[in-house]
Amino acid sequence: MRLSILVLLLLATAASADERSQPPSQLADLLSADAEGYASAIEPRAFTFPADHGPHPEFRNEWWYVTGNLDSADGRRFGYELTIFRFALAPERPESVSEWRTNQVYIAHLAITDVSAERFLVAQRYGRGALGLAGASARPLRVWIDDWSITEERDGAWRLVADDGEFAIDVSLVPRKPPVLNGDAGLSQKSSDPGNASYYYSITRLETRGRIRIDGEEHNVNGLSWLDREWSTSALADNQVGWDWFALQFSDGSDLMFYGLRLSDGSQDPHSGGTFVTADGIATHLDADDVEITVLATWDSPEGGTYPAQWQVRSNRLGLDVTVTPVLDDQELFTTVRYWEGAVDVSGSRFGEPLSGRGYVELTGYAQ
Amino acid sequence: MIPVTYRASFSYLLRHPWQLVLSLLGIVIGVAVIVAVDLANSSARKAFLMSMDAITGEATHQVIGGPNGVPETVYRDLRTREGLINVAPVVEGTVNVDGVPVQLLGIDLFAEQSVRSFTGETTSGEPDDDNSSLFLNFLLQPGAVTTTEQTALDLGIAVGDTFAVSVGGRPQTAALFATFAGDSNLDRVFVTDIATAQEWLDRPGWISRIDVRIADGDTAMLQRLEEALAPGTQLLSAAGRTRSTADMSQAFMTNLTAMSLLALLVGLFLIFNAVNFSVLQRRGLIGVLRALGLTRRQLLAMVLFEAAIVGFVAAVAGVLLGAMLGEQLLELVSRTINDLYFRVNVTAVSVSPFSVAKGLIAGVGAALIAAALPAFEATSYQPRLALTRSVIERRAKNVLPVVTLTGIAGMIAAIALILSSGTSLVAGLTAVFLLILGFALCVPLFVRLSSTLVAPLAARLGGTSARMAIAGIASGLSRTGIAIVALAVALSATIGISVMVDSFRSSVNAWLVQTLRADVYTGTLREGSMDPELIAAIRSIDGVVDMSTRKRATVEDATGRTQLRVFELPPESYSGAELIDADPAVAWMAWENEDAVFVSEPYAYQNGVGAGDRITLPTDHGPRQFAVAATFQSFDINASGLMMSRNTYARHFRDPSVDSLGLYLADGVDVDGVVDDIERLSEGWQQLYISSNAGLRDESLRIFDRTFVITDVLYWLTLGVAFIGILSAMLALQLERAREFATLRALGMTPGQVGGMITAQTGAIGLLSGLAAVPLGIVMAYVLIKVINRRAFGWQIDMTVAPDILAVSVAFAIGAAVLAGLYPAWRAGRSQPAIAMREE
Repeated sequence: MRLSILVLLLLATAASADERSQPPSQLADLLSADAEGYASAIEPRAFTFPADHGPHPEFRNEWWYVTGNLDSADGRRFGYELTIFRFALAPERPESVSEWRTNQVYIAHLAITDVSAERFLVAQRYGRGALGLAGASARPLRVWIDDWSITEERDGAWRLVADDGEFAIDVSLVPRKPPVLNGDAGLSQKSSDPGNASYYYSITRLETRGRIRIDGEEHNVNGLSWLDREWSTSALADNQVGWDWFALQFSDGSDLMFYGLRLSDGSQDPHSGGTFVTADGIATHLDADDVEITVLATWDSPEGGTYPAQWQVRSNRLGLDVTVTPVLDDQELFTTVRYWEGAVDVSGSRFGEPLSGRGYVELTGYAQ
Repeated sequence: MIPVTYRASFSYLLRHPWQLVLSLLGIVIGVAVIVAVDLANSSARKAFLMSMDAITGEATHQVIGGPNGVPETVYRDLRTREGLINVAPVVEGTVNVDGVPVQLLGIDLFAEQSVRSFTGETTSGEPDDDNSSLFLNFLLQPGAVTTTEQTALDLGIAVGDTFAVSVGGRPQTAALFATFAGDSNLDRVFVTDIATAQEWLDRPGWISRIDVRIADGDTAMLQRLEEALAPGTQLLSAAGRTRSTADMSQAFMTNLTAMSLLALLVGLFLIFNAVNFSVLQRRGLIGVLRALGLTRRQLLAMVLFEAAIVGFVAAVAGVLLGAMLGEQLLELVSRTINDLYFRVNVTAVSVSPFSVAKGLIAGVGAALIAAALPAFEATSYQPRLALTRSVIERRAKNVLPVVTLTGIAGMIAAIALILSSGTSLVAGLTAVFLLILGFALCVPLFVRLSSTLVAPLAARLGGTSARMAIAGIASGLSRTGIAIVALAVALSATIGISVMVDSFRSSVNAWLVQTLRADVYTGTLREGSMDPELIAAIRSIDGVVDMSTRKRATVEDATGRTQLRVFELPPESYSGAELIDADPAVAWMAWENEDAVFVSEPYAYQNGVGAGDRITLPTDHGPRQFAVAATFQSFDINASGLMMSRNTYARHFRDPSVDSLGLYLADGVDVDGVVDDIERLSEGWQQLYISSNAGLRDESLRIFDRTFVITDVLYWLTLGVAFIGILSAMLALQLERAREFATLRALGMTPGQVGGMITAQTGAIGLLSGLAAVPLGIVMAYVLIKVINRRAFGWQIDMTVAPDILAVSVAFAIGAAVLAGLYPAWRAGRSQPAIAMREE
């Protein structure tokens, strides 16, 4: 009984770390408390793989973020998200004889969009980065909490396993493109403050094959996934309220990542930006004004808050003009902190040629 | 509307307030003792269960391991390999804050949600209380603890304070980073991160247990978990574990309840006495009422109604007094439970309606039972005869053989019950009560015979008035008999208990002398193990020639807990254990080198095993069979279990820890010098108890005595009831005979002579009570020792009857009776004969 809310509060605080590049207010308190002692993303660095697939514990936060659109042999469509976050609570692990003592905390989110059934399923896990309960290692890559994991297999494929009982995913991912460095050679500046930046790379196209289980029913699935990797010691700037993040995979083999940072006055932060990756894996950095996004429709969450629910994405530089539509309006996660992360459809044109595609969109800061 | 006859009945009582008060007092005290014991017992048990509940939360099962707990990797594997998330690790222990023991509960916040559903509020942290700092403190700050507001208050610590604690004797620094409100069930508990708990308890790699929540009827999950468990770990039901812990104290509580019933039994005699008198005194009124046409049934109802009302009023007062008394008793009960069985923190008596109801029913019931006989008797007279005193005495004389035979039958039944009831404690206690009742019924005959025999002797010694005094006892048997019985029963109970405790104590003392072989003992205070380096340093102190080590361990399986005492002994100290049922030379060999254990006498009794049997114990490698090499004598009330050699233990358990040492010194080495050496060595390193052989024996006896403080308290309460009984009997007896005394005064006796006669009579009543109490007391002691203690605790105690206990009891009886007779004597002497004779 009442060993108190303590537990819940503490977990709530930890879990509010759900957000993509910046944690929201409560966690911001935790994370902005003192960046001293941590490494910061100040200038571009040399990335080496596979070492950089592994953890960077000297930075305060880090994540392995995988999303994807899959189809089953019998024609059912699924979207999925499996993310594992790492947070350092202090720069150093306190000295201890106890294996449990740690400064590292891990949180994982699993979400599956069962498009045909119009269901959205979410589960989360927490763990301390100690004793092997949760953790990350580079060679071979393994990031895990309990029995949920992202692991590099012997053949180089990445295997994602997460089972929440009611639903589960077990898929293998084979990269079809090399990692691309976002921002300035992987340094993604989030505001004008030096150090308010992250190291950020993506693998924008991974061939995916495996199984999804929902309510005891197994579905063999295949499709495409997207991996985002980011680590930093930064927090949201005071005047930033949230962001919209797009990860779109087009039918011509090219991919687009773009994030728009929203300011409290409703405008878009000039530090917004993105990356365009051609079918053969050549990456181009995009500035805030290279891409223009217009909201075409909105969705009112039954729990309050209004999210954008359809966009027009245009880029003269890329010759791109597409409409992005969620496959399901309600893909909102109530993992202590609320955010929207969902599978989307893309249709439109590029340089006059018809273009379709699929992708994932993340929306934060629309509901508290 | 109260009928006029009832008013007549009550106005009589009101005109004799002393009698009313005294008869009330008997029930009040009897009920109070019952209620107090019941409340203390149930409060202690309830507090324990509630705090266990609070701590177990929603866990339905627990994974437990050997003496050291569960390897933490077992927990990790359950989560990472089996994917079980409804599991949470716990590291438990005790910390000392300025000598106050506080339970330490080390948890993993991340795992808690699935097992304990905590609600409530943290009421304090930092003033601008952002919870993230709580979170950080909890996980990162070594020594960070949180507790209830009340506990912080009790310990005099505030949020933000750092303070010294002692864990397993080692000094540590704690920091109170938050408190939470409410729930007294979590008082005296520090909640801390599992890492802090491991650090403090010096148990890296081990957790105390894994709490598991399995939905009702989810047998698939249960099975999955059981299959996943590592050898040496077991899955047990949480409720079952709590219950079996609570049940450890059952025998102790049953004995207390029995003692409280004894107090009521004595109280029963009192009320019997009181009602009897009030009926006797109103025989005139009863005769008149009968003559006026009241039926027998109406009269009976009237007397019983009166008794019920008196009983109820007294019972209510008794319940109130009992609640107050319970508070005091609870402290003693919980201290004993803490000494002997398990940690319990009771802050207040919780008055349960059930306890109150029991008290009320006992009070009213006792009053009705006690009133039934006199009431029936009074109403059975012919109206004319009811007026005659002599008729009543004659009738009393007539029923005497029947009463005596019933008593003998009761005693025979008691013996038969003891012989036929095996090991049942309740049956044993029932037999004790039967024995007392049976004996009580024989007392009147004894009084009659002895007073008839003594009367001529008294005449020779003290003249006519002495003869009248003694003969008056026999001739007024219907009145004196009850008083004597009440006093005798109370006294015999106290004799029985005193002899039992005294015998027990001397057995324990003899056992300690034999068992404690080393010259100096040292070890950790309550729990925790000794630092191995410190052990080595102590071993190398000048003058220490040999050393034994001891480790107290507990193993547990679905059948319950078993205490292991693990010894490494120099062969010359083998004689310290008295082996009862085996050849020591053979048994010790087996004990040292094979998978064999010694079982303590209580263990052997409770489990029905002895030399040559085999028992199964859970070990780190799963259940294993051990041979019982011998049974050894043991009065160790803390850990009456098995004795295992270090070699055997090491083969079956991964636990090298030692919690105490026995040091053997070279001839001529100064014991106090070695004690000082150890003190110097351990200072600031690890706090230890350090004691010479004699010191440890004294300390053990001190704890023994402390355990029996409760017995002492009940002893005095029972005597108190007895004293009030005799006082009330004397008062009533003498008041009733006021006219007789007045006649004697009119015939020329001086007030001094009348007073002397009364005093002689009360003194003789006391003497007879005391004499009657002695045989019953000795028989009771025998039954308590050989039947009750054996059945409750398994101890074999040698009975020794110290004559001084008997002498003191008889002296008390005479003293109490004389004291009780003083006021009536004074009154009788002072009364004006003319007025007194007219009074009726």
